[in-house]
Amino acid sequence: MEPLEIFKVKTKIPEEAEAYRSILSDVISDLGVANSIGRIYVIITPEDSLFQMAVILRGSPPLIKTSDFADVSVGAVIRNEIQIVLRDEKYLPDLLEKLWAKYGRGKVIQRDRKTIDVVVENIDAEIGSIKEMPIFDPKRTLLSKLVEMAIRGAPEGFRVRYHSLNGNEFIFVASEDAMKPEWVQQGHQMLESIKGG
Amino acid sequence: MAAVLEPYIYEGGIHRHTLILELLEDLGGYLIQKTPAATEVTLVMLVPRDDVHLIEQLAKDLLGKISKAALTGTEIAVVSPTLASHHLPHSACDIAEFLRRGGANTTMIGLARGMGRRVALSADYERRLINEHDIALFSFGTFQDCIINKKPKLFEGIKIPIVVTGGPDLKTEEIPGADMYIGNIGRVAHRLRHSDELGGLDLMSEKVGIIVEKMREDIARDPLAVLPARVMKEVQEQIPEIESVYTPAPLTLQLDGLRIKLPYPDFHKRVEDMELQDNIRLKDVATISLSKMKNYILVKVKRRSEVGIEI
Repeated sequence: MEPLEIFKVKTKIPEEAEAYRSILSDVISDLGVANSIGRIYVIITPEDSLFQMAVILRGSPPLIKTSDFADVSVGAVIRNEIQIVLRDEKYLPDLLEKLWAKYGRGKVIQRDRKTIDVVVENIDAEIGSIKEMPIFDPKRTLLSKLVEMAIRGAPEGFRVRYHSLNGNEFIFVASEDAMKPEWVQQGHQMLESIKGG
Repeated sequence: MAAVLEPYIYEGGIHRHTLILELLEDLGGYLIQKTPAATEVTLVMLVPRDDVHLIEQLAKDLLGKISKAALTGTEIAVVSPTLASHHLPHSACDIAEFLRRGGANTTMIGLARGMGRRVALSADYERRLINEHDIALFSFGTFQDCIINKKPKLFEGIKIPIVVTGGPDLKTEEIPGADMYIGNIGRVAHRLRHSDELGGLDLMSEKVGIIVEKMREDIARDPLAVLPARVMKEVQEQIPEIESVYTPAPLTLQLDGLRIKLPYPDFHKRVEDMELQDNIRLKDVATISLSKMKNYILVKVKRRSEVGIEI
């Protein structure tokens, strides 16, 4: 599935849909979720104060491990050190947090911006486990980003909200009146209509 | 009646700009606002109509730019339904920016509960604050149905002219309570910088200018007892404390008055007793009250028919 291969916005008046499409694409690019979204279908019915959105995500992004963004090698053998050299600083805070939790602050020494030494008991055993250590789960932030996108995109007064993320399928319905089950039902139908192919 | 004054904006280098100020003073014009920015300065001023060519010539000599600014001396409230990211900063702030380029002073007002359709409402305090301005500009969104059927309830209790901006192309008559509708400036999530968007903003500024012109004509039929610009000058001369007020536009002109950004409890007596001319004090020709904006002083000048004096 290509990013944003289906991007449909429907309203009664076509010009309004066009305007809303532009708002949504701005929000999507602001949040940097364009690559995660495969298909998106939005129907807005201002007369009923109703905003419905169905999204199909492009496969779930893989877990990020230490070896994905850093080189892990044997450091000073006399001091029992493993050296981690970062290629990408983006995940440094998450990595440090995980290392501190496992080895303790005293044993994790950050020599400079991109180098971290870890003092361990058994170099050979730990080097593998550091390499494979899961550092960051993009899925965790994706849901919050999707909800943020939906809330920013929907008209502000629509504060009664329903959202569900089921595997790769995300549904969001918002209104300013009490939620009707058929609206959520319609959301599921919208999702069906962009599935397949 | 004093000479007819015309509003102009001078933009140029800060070097030797005082020559303009000196000339303006000699001609009997008024400096309304001076905004220095690094090596540039922007002067908003009222120039006597017959002497405009003198100022233009001097501006040319100083390699500055002079342009007519129809909105000078007005204070416009730019009202957005709420302060949330849905309504601000884009479009509303760009609208305000373009009004300021036209010479107006703007106040951005985000209502507490203006969002939505059925649930939208405004508070008494907000309405009173908006009513202190010359014009209220409501910045609305994309949907025709909302703008025509739901949002006009926010206009209730607004006594000043109402300008509405929104996305769809509508006629002013379709929106109950609005004095002017300007389309193609709806909700956007980016800064307005495409040529058609900028064109829409220019048109907006122009149309607001038409309303201001109409209001000026209305006032001219029964003129103000004293020009607000004159009161402004008297404040600068008689209340030196205004020099140490650091808000932008410490004296904000309106079509029929001005806002003095000094605390009301400490200064209102002195403002009221300011002598304008031979024993005529400001309180004789204007109502001075506590503004809804912070604790500033709001001066509304009375009409000639009401007080029988014209200074």
